[in-house]
Amino acid sequence: MYKFAHIADCHLGANREPELRRLEIEAFKKTIDECILNGVDFIIISGDIFHSNLPDMWVVNEAVRKMREAVVKGIPIYVVYGSHDYSPTETSIIDVLESAGLVKRIGAGEIKDGRLILKFTVDSKTGAKLTGISARKLGIEQEYYKILNRGILEDEGGFKIFVFHTMIAELKPVDLAKTDSIPLSYLPAGFHYYAGGHPHKTIVKKLEDYPFIVYPGPIFAKDSKDFEEAAKGVRRGFYIVNFDTQVRGIEFVEVRVCDYYFKEYDATGRTPSQVMSDLTEELEKADLNNKIVLLKINGELASGKTSDVDFTAIRRMIMEKGALHVRINRYGLTSKEYTSIKVKGGDVREIEEKIFEENIHRLKLSNPRLTSAEGVKLAVNLLKVLRDPPKMNESKEDYLNRIRSHALKVLEIPEE
Amino acid sequence: MEVVGSVIGGSIGKIFLRQRSGERIELGDLLVCEEGDSLVIMQVYDLEYGSQIPDGNIEMIAGLRLEGYGERSDLTLMDPALRHYVIAHVKAVLRVEGGVPKTPKSLPNFLSSLRRIKPEDLSFLTKPANPIYVGDLRSGSKVFKFPIYLDGPEVLTHHVIIPATTGRGKSNLVKVMLWSLMDQDNFGVLVLDSHDEYYGRHGKGLKDHPNAEDRLVYYTSAKPPPGGYNLIVNVESIKPYHFDGIVEFTEAQSDAIYLYHNEFEEKWIENILKGEKLEDESKIKPVTIAVTQRRLEHILGIRHTTEKGFEYYTNVFSIDKGGSTVNDIVDALENGKIVILDTSRIPDAAELLIGAIIVSEVFRRYQNYKYTGELEDKPVISIVIEEAPRVIGADVLARGDNIYGTVAREGRKFKVGLMAVTQLTTVIPSTILANMNTKIILGNEMAAERQAIINFAPQDLSEDSQTIASLDKGEAIISSNFTKFAIPVKIPLFEEYIKDKTSKNSNANITYF
Repeated sequence: MYKFAHIADCHLGANREPELRRLEIEAFKKTIDECILNGVDFIIISGDIFHSNLPDMWVVNEAVRKMREAVVKGIPIYVVYGSHDYSPTETSIIDVLESAGLVKRIGAGEIKDGRLILKFTVDSKTGAKLTGISARKLGIEQEYYKILNRGILEDEGGFKIFVFHTMIAELKPVDLAKTDSIPLSYLPAGFHYYAGGHPHKTIVKKLEDYPFIVYPGPIFAKDSKDFEEAAKGVRRGFYIVNFDTQVRGIEFVEVRVCDYYFKEYDATGRTPSQVMSDLTEELEKADLNNKIVLLKINGELASGKTSDVDFTAIRRMIMEKGALHVRINRYGLTSKEYTSIKVKGGDVREIEEKIFEENIHRLKLSNPRLTSAEGVKLAVNLLKVLRDPPKMNESKEDYLNRIRSHALKVLEIPEE
Repeated sequence: MEVVGSVIGGSIGKIFLRQRSGERIELGDLLVCEEGDSLVIMQVYDLEYGSQIPDGNIEMIAGLRLEGYGERSDLTLMDPALRHYVIAHVKAVLRVEGGVPKTPKSLPNFLSSLRRIKPEDLSFLTKPANPIYVGDLRSGSKVFKFPIYLDGPEVLTHHVIIPATTGRGKSNLVKVMLWSLMDQDNFGVLVLDSHDEYYGRHGKGLKDHPNAEDRLVYYTSAKPPPGGYNLIVNVESIKPYHFDGIVEFTEAQSDAIYLYHNEFEEKWIENILKGEKLEDESKIKPVTIAVTQRRLEHILGIRHTTEKGFEYYTNVFSIDKGGSTVNDIVDALENGKIVILDTSRIPDAAELLIGAIIVSEVFRRYQNYKYTGELEDKPVISIVIEEAPRVIGADVLARGDNIYGTVAREGRKFKVGLMAVTQLTTVIPSTILANMNTKIILGNEMAAERQAIINFAPQDLSEDSQTIASLDKGEAIISSNFTKFAIPVKIPLFEEYIKDKTSKNSNANITYF
């Protein structure tokens, strides 16, 4: 009996905050350690090892050191590009790792007479045959599936694994309905295991001719949605698969690197001060030490503005109670003074302009010019300046000075 | 002018003309009377013999011939072409003045000559901006190379009914129409294909259209071809009201369903199937739950046992798959795609239930778009339903309204229409038939069915029963609020029609690395 590990969506480098970067890489190290500890014969990472094609070098260094431990122990790592660590125009870090002999990219092939012929990579120890299709920009990826010569792959004997980084439409949960996907019929039938990546959900399904379609989900979290799910108790980890000529069993290995505290609060009918008081009371009772804290605030305030709730103070209080990290999601919080409006426009600028037009008359300002069309123009221009990102090699100080100077120009205020 | 006959009498709607000798006027022929700058277009709906010789003499002549006189004894009639002829009963269908079609309100001149129609007489029948091709102009059995198009948005939102008996070419017509819709992206069409005949799994079909990759979506309960989707609907997509008018439950069962829905929300079916109890068990009798459970098992093809968990018999409804199927299908329709659901291998009730779930979601979204002012930017959505009386039959609707009935009555306001295909028009309530503003009438032997169609036709077809009975396979009459008159057409055979229009391989420029 052999074993392989199936990992996906590590998204190393996704988090900017130091404490989350540390946990992110810790989750990856723990994953590889578990693989070594469990004596797997090889590892499959079905896309998105890194969050970008050229990630931060600290993250790469940490990951490479860990992967090398596995490789040195004779555990090869087979990968496909994910949608994040692939670039159509630049070299990806995956290419560098492959050149260094740390990973083996599978899914080599060529187009002959309009059909894509994929080759198998055979794992020398187990004889398992691996092939697959990396993520590309979805349009191109779909074209590959459309022209894929499935017959050749289906006729191949032996224990076969298909590795891919694409959502399958028929398996999409309702909350991923808007995620791009391909029909199951594009995958070649009759493989023993389909090692998927991309959706940040753990999905294991069996369908006729497709005995195991598995998405392990992420090993940590890359965004608020991931953090929220983990905080609500969704387990993160990867699969270890036992096989000989067939899959004999799959086991989920949980990777837990921290604890979470999650609180959803409905502010409907409450004033900003009541919200502050409710949350303070709640948080004071809670054990937040060494936890990632997620607050989700919804509802429409009875009075005041959403900015009247002092989220900075709440954040400070949470951190003072020893939290590792705090995320406050207040996208669902509205106030009567700023009810949601719907506008249509051809581009972002047009939409923003319309939103300003709809809202600006609600402001009580002493200068009437600021609540007129002139005010809208000013707001749009100021937003444009504030949106400007730092330039390459620009120091933080230079950046702040530049933005400040441009903003003052827009506001027609002399710099002195 | 090649004269085929002359007006000899009659009244409005019932004009008689004498056929010229050597000509052969047919039922349904379109004839034209020229009056200065105007044309009067007439259509033949009946034919009879006429003769200048009294009846007794004609009988004598026939007897002489039969008994060995006549031809064998040089017995001939004097000037037979003058004395014997055919009288055609025609009705004026249109007066064209300066190229503008008008409803005829006067008789053509007495003894005026008529000729056969020419395509240029109908130059006012222009191709609309968003056309649906339905066939070529036909006069009797003569077919012109003159394509007839309907105005897609108008016709589809105001519902279409295609009545005909078996073998008259209903499916062929729908395929031809859908083919032309696939050239455009401003129509979403949901096809509930109970015979799996539109996609072309085993022959030519819509999959062969050059735009099929972008515009056609195929769901099937059998193993799909590459690119096709497994038709799997998650039971969490089902709301209790989706069963209305589709599956009949007793009042007690209905109460049970709504109580489970209230308590378990989207997991209501899962919990009924698993035999979970409500928090307040006294609200429903155990026997009611048991019967409801069995009925749902039967409709959905899912059974739950403690030993084996959930088992599936039809693989169409699922507890853990197909979570986004309904959303995906409605999104595709909203994006102007043609979505075919092959329901040929699933029971009737399951097919209609899936249709109801999807149509309800389409209707809900479009109602909302109307409210938010976005409807104008959305494509028209049409729902093709075969054997339509299954959902809009009088007996079905008498048991309670359903979403198809709602669409038939109100869909027009929300850019959602039905394309109902049926053998039986008589069983569809008049309130719905009256709302079907385009009728594409194919041949029908049954007088009662013809009469039902005629009664609700947008044009006066009161004299056309015989013409409808005599329509050959592929021949049709289009009677619509959006055509100037009931246009006779010949629908081409789908396979012939698409011969030079099928898809080409476009993979030449793809590189793989």
